[in-house]
Parts: sequence; structure tokens; C-alpha cells
Amino acid sequence: MSSAVLEQFQRTGHDLFIAGLVSSHGGNMSVRQGDRILITRRGSMLAHLEERDIVDIGLEENDANVALASTEIVVHRAIYKATSALAIVHTHPPYAIAQSLVKDEIVPVDSEGSYLLHKVPVVEAQLTAGSAEVAELLPRRLKEYDLVMLRGHGPFAIGHLLEEAYQLTSVLEMTCRILTIGEGLGGQVKEYRKGSDQYGSW
Amino acid sequence: MSPATSILGPLRGLRVDLSKGTVDADELPREVALAYLGGRGLGSYVALRERLFEVEPFAPENLLVFAPGPLTGTGAPTSGRYSVTSRSPLTGTVFDGNSGGSFGVALRKLGLDYLIVAGACATPSCLAIGLEPAGADGGAAVATPPADGRPAVVVQSAGELWARDVPDTLARLRDLYPGCEAAVIGQAGEREVLFASIVNNHGRSVGRGGLGAVMGSKRLKAVVLAGRGKDRPPVADAERLSFVAYEAEKLLKANPITSQALPEFGTAVLVNVLDQAGALPTRNFRDSRFEHAAATSGEALRRGYVTRRAACRGCGIGCARRTATATASGEGPEYETIWSLGAACGVGDLAAIVEANYVCNRAGMDTITMGSTIACAMELAEEGALPGGPRFGDAAAVLSLCEATARGEGLGEELGQGSARLAARHGRPELSMSVKSLELPAYDPRGMTAQGLAFATSNRGGCHLRANMLGPEILGVPKMIDRFATLGKSGLLINLQNLNAVLDSLSLCKFTAFAMKEDYYARLLSAVWGETVEPQELLRIGERIWNAERLFNLAAGFTRDDDTLPPRLLREPVKAGPAAGRVVDLAPMLDEYYIARGWDEEGRPRAAKLEGLGLAAPVADARPARAATPAGGGSV
Repeated sequence: MSSAVLEQFQRTGHDLFIAGLVSSHGGNMSVRQGDRILITRRGSMLAHLEERDIVDIGLEENDANVALASTEIVVHRAIYKATSALAIVHTHPPYAIAQSLVKDEIVPVDSEGSYLLHKVPVVEAQLTAGSAEVAELLPRRLKEYDLVMLRGHGPFAIGHLLEEAYQLTSVLEMTCRILTIGEGLGGQVKEYRKGSDQYGSW
Repeated sequence: MSPATSILGPLRGLRVDLSKGTVDADELPREVALAYLGGRGLGSYVALRERLFEVEPFAPENLLVFAPGPLTGTGAPTSGRYSVTSRSPLTGTVFDGNSGGSFGVALRKLGLDYLIVAGACATPSCLAIGLEPAGADGGAAVATPPADGRPAVVVQSAGELWARDVPDTLARLRDLYPGCEAAVIGQAGEREVLFASIVNNHGRSVGRGGLGAVMGSKRLKAVVLAGRGKDRPPVADAERLSFVAYEAEKLLKANPITSQALPEFGTAVLVNVLDQAGALPTRNFRDSRFEHAAATSGEALRRGYVTRRAACRGCGIGCARRTATATASGEGPEYETIWSLGAACGVGDLAAIVEANYVCNRAGMDTITMGSTIACAMELAEEGALPGGPRFGDAAAVLSLCEATARGEGLGEELGQGSARLAARHGRPELSMSVKSLELPAYDPRGMTAQGLAFATSNRGGCHLRANMLGPEILGVPKMIDRFATLGKSGLLINLQNLNAVLDSLSLCKFTAFAMKEDYYARLLSAVWGETVEPQELLRIGERIWNAERLFNLAAGFTRDDDTLPPRLLREPVKAGPAAGRVVDLAPMLDEYYIARGWDEEGRPRAAKLEGLGLAAPVADARPARAATPAGGGSV
């Protein structure tokens, strides 16, 4: 693994924790390099990643490193096989999780979220961690959307770079904070965006 | 995504055989549209299916495929484009070029998704579609009947148009066919200069690879279309398209590259950007910074020469420029032209660069290859391999050599073969800064290593339009990456190559990708077709097109050895500036790239990859020999 790639993991992981998007040992990330996946180690602390915390494992074929890889390796593999993603970020952001518990899709009302997300679908699974069910469900939606929310668990964001997936995750949480605060205010949202009534069909 | 009823049916085309004087209705099943979209993808599909890799580029059997894309003329942002595909006389590869203007829109208004031109005329001719014969000089017109509701086609003597330059030809055609749209060649195409271009009547060129020379070899001066066809290209869900296009325009307006840099300075904004990065190739790539960058920059161009902005049809970016010097006026120059006729030749006289650009435009020549070939001649001369040749910094020589090349006079005759043949003929092939005989554009890969991989693996040779890593390596689009790093960037490059294949096939301008991602393109296409196209499926189509082109080139005799860079970029460290001491470490990047592509170590797509993409290799093992180093003449 090149130092540049390790640095991307370290910088992104640190920022995810500082931003409150993961708990101390929560979340996971990976990048695809050809027919290999570099994924965070199961139980690693994203805020303190070292080289030993990044596990090199096959995309198509399993190997012994699966014993070290993140619990979500099965989901990451399925996403890479189904999409052109080169990076995946999975987190547990509290406001986004809260919104996912009461909505079937998250439609931003703020400017940044509107530009970058338009709409975030919420999908549901009974077994929410590292399950074949999620591995079957998520890639289908990630063919259409770069970020999909797993109800009660957290978003999976894809990109060509870790930074892209991190950005989408960060924007989602900010959007959900704004939604939550706005809904708490109880008033009618004063619409300022042309065509926003069509965002639900994005 | 789109609730509308699908309008996607078979693709409707025409096949004109100039040798036989026949025109036939042609049709491709809708599955071809689903698999290749249109434009470049359709052209590559036809080139592979018809085994053009077995055809000499100037043989009558070579084809020219003119094809707009499914978004052409629909109102999607920058959707006024079309492609031309053939086998290139310069590179021997499959080769497509595309341009803006309204030619593609006119094709679609005539109800055509593509036009295949085969054969060659006995005498110089024009092709008029949807138009009544117009006797330019009393030349005999051969009319062919309209077929299956398609527009009438007339093959008509070019008469006095032959030997006219591009602006004169276009002006005369506008007199003959008021309101027409036309794609023409100049004297360079007629003379089969290996980098002759095809220019339309909005001054936009299918510039690279010598497709204008292929047109010249067919003695076809112009393709002229009725410009006021009554039928607009069909759209399944106009309301949905309007909404998505509005959202796309919002992004384009919010992005400083597409809303400020390109509109204000044109593509020439990159002169200073690349110079500051130490990636502006200078004096045939001997240096990576240019002492006259500021004097030849977009800012200088705007101050001294720009008379007005211009834009292709359907484009809100508007990167084109009308310019004037004390003695002439015309279109451009673009960034690549300022570089090739300027820094590449060590020329800092912007007025001379602008005027040399006009010479190329009038004759219909690719300015990148023209300037780079002159730069090669300059280095050959300085190395003693071309006695009496031009010297770096000689602006007058650049201007006169452009004119000589257009006329085929003196050294110009040799320059008209491009730098690879020139350098080989004079015993110094390594001084051609080209890949697969196509001259590299204005980015020194020693300062942006993935761009080096992009050049080496480009299916049409040294080209920045297959994938330009300028975004992630210099401008931070989508995000900034380490531009000097060797490994870990092949996946990003592959995605960009696939995406650009999609854009060339839709056909949209690549500048939109500074602001938009594949999901926008998928939603635009879904609205137009009335069928849901997922963003990931769109990229899969791009991958299919890329692999089809690779199969063509493998069948034409290209191998891993051709996926390389000029030796200078691999071995000679940059002397000074931000990239000082750097070379491109290509071999490990290529290994990583092949793995990520699903190709074997020799760069051949593995069976599983082809199966997954629904492709089949056209030949198992019968690969025709190809000259490793191009010699003189037009064959490769």
C-alpha cells in the first residue's frame, strides 16, 4: 500500500470521528485497486488508523485476510462488483439515522444538500450488519444513487475517491441536522428552489 | 426514473457508396443503441463490425461514420455535438473525433441517427442530403432516390469548390444552399495531409487523426445538410428533461471552471495554470515551464485579440473565441493551439501564433499535430539531423511552415506526414513526442503521472480527450490527488476513460464533467428515451465502447509495446520547476491498469471481461502485421 493511500485513510478516518459521524470503533472504509480491496480492519478505530489497520483482500476471491477485514466486507465486495465505485465510506451519523427511522426517503431542504444529493433513498433489512441481505439490497440502489441510507444503521456512500464518499456522508448528516431542527420548529418551510417539488422523483 | 413511454427504437441511417453511386437505407437494432448509445460508440461498433482494421485508411473500403448522439439537439446542456469515426491514416487505430456546431442537430432533424460513407468518388464531389441539386458550375449531379422515407441524397460534382480553403468553401455552400449545415475539408484534406481535419460551418473541427484526409481520399469535399429540417429530435418526457437540464445548468453555473474560467478566458486559461504547475511542455518537451507563458496566456489573448465570445449550439459555457490581429481575423486559438504553435516551438509571439492558427483553420489542419511536428523539426535541426531546418523560437518559421504544409511545398510536404514519420525518416524516432503516432497535447506527464498513463493507454494515441487527468491532478475535480504518485490512480483513470466514451456517444461536451457526474447524464438520457438508464449502466456502456476500441486496435496489430510514452518522458528528468527531477514510471502503472481493466498482462481483454460486456474478439489469432515504426507515406 502506498503512503498516499494510507494517508487518505488516516485523514478521512480522523475527520469522520471528529465530525461525530462514527463512534470510537464504528464505521468502515475501503478503496478498490484493480482486483483487490483495501478495507479497514474489524474493530479498528477510524480516528487512529495505522498501516496494520488496512487489510488487503481479494475482490472476487476470499483469502485468509477475511479474518481481519471489516464485518461489512461482504457488502463492500457486492458494491464494488455492481458499480464503478473505487471508494466506500460507511458511517453511523446520529441525525441521519434518526431521520431514517421515520422516513422512506430523505429529501434535503438546504441548498448544499439539494445540489449534491437531491434525494437519499432509505432501505431496510432485518439483519443490518454484514449480512447477505444488505449485500443484495444496497448495490441495487447504489447503481442509481451515490449515497443510500440503511434504516437504523447508517449510510453507504460511494465515490472514485474516499474524499468524495466522505463529502457525501458529511453533507447527508448536515442535511439531516437541518431537517431535524427545522421540523422541530414546526413551521411551514418557505420554498425558495425552482423545481424542488420534483426532487422526490430524482 | 422516467415514467414516460419509451421512444427508443431502431437506429435509422443511410449508407452512401461513393464508388457505386448508391444510397441505401440502413438500420441498427435498438439493442445497439442500448449497448453503444450513438456518436463515438456507434462509430466504434460499426468500425469493429465491418473489420476496418483490415482496411488501409486511404482505401475506398474505409468508412466515414457521421453520428450524432441520442441527446444531440434535445435541449440537454451542450448537446449540439456529433462524431465522425474511421480508421486513422495517422495512427492506424480506430479513430473518432467530434465537434460542436449544428451539423449533428441537422442530421437528427433529417431523421438520421447516422450516415455511413463508403467508397470513393471518381472526381471531386459533394454530398447533399435533404437538398435539391444546386449546380455550382454546371457539374453533373447524380441524384439517388430517397429511400424508406429518408431524405434524398445527391452526389454532386464539387466543381469550383475543390482547392478552395475552408472559409471560402463554407461561404460558397451557404450561397448555393441557404441555411444549410456543412462539414467540409480544406486543401490539407484534399492533399491527404495526415492530420487534416473536418470543419463545420460554425468553425468547429473534428480535428485530430486525419479524418479530413480520409474524406479527401474519397474526393469528398463536403457533406451538406438541409439545415432547417422540420422535425426536432424526439424526446419521451420533455417535462422531465427540462427539470434535469435545469438542475444540470445550476451545477454548471455554480462551478467556477464552467461559469467563470472558461467563459472569461476560454480554454487558454490553462496556459498559466499548467505553467505554474510545471507541466507546460516547452521546446518539444525539453522543458516544462515556458518563459513566455504570460505573454501567450488566456489573459493576454483576451487583452489583445479577442473580439467576442462564442458558444456551440446548446451550450451555456461559451469557451470559443473570435479573435483578430492587425491583418486577419478568425476562430481561436484554443489552449492546445497556443501551446503547440507557441511553447512547443519556443515561440512567445502571440500575434504570430494567432495567425498561424488561422492558416491551419483555413487549410483544415489539426493544430496540435502541426505545431508538434514543427517542434520536432526544430529539435531535429538543432541536433543536426535536419540541416537547414527551423530553430526554436522562430515565429516566422512556424507561420511559413504551416503555409508550406497546407500547400505541400518544401519541408511542408514532410511535415504533412506528422512527427513520427518525420523523426523516423531523419533517423531520430525518439524525438517525435507522440503515442501511436498521434502527437501529445499540452500536458507534460512528468508533472502529472496519471496523464502519462492516460496518453499511453488512449485508444486513439496521444490524446487528452480520451481522459484528461487535469481534473484530479491539477484542478481538484472531483478532488485533488497526488499528481506525482505512481500507483493507485488507474481506477480513477479508467472511470474517466469510460465516462468520456459515454459523453462522446451521447454526444455532450466533456467540459460539463467539470461540474456534473454520471447520474446527471443518466437522468438526461432516461428522460429523452423514456427508459430508465442507471448511472452505473451508463459507465458500463462506456467500458464496452472502450473495450470494443481495444479489440479493434489489437486486431490491427497494436500490442502492449504501443502503450508507451516517448523515451524522453520515461528517462529524462524535468530540469527545473515544480516537477524538477521527475520522470514517468510507466511500467508498474500499466500493470496496475491492465489488472483493473480485466485484461491480461499483454493488454488483451480476458474472456470473462468480454463475456460480461457482451463482446467477442473479432479475430482469434490472425493479426495482420503492422510496421512498428511508421515510414513515409500514408499507410501504417
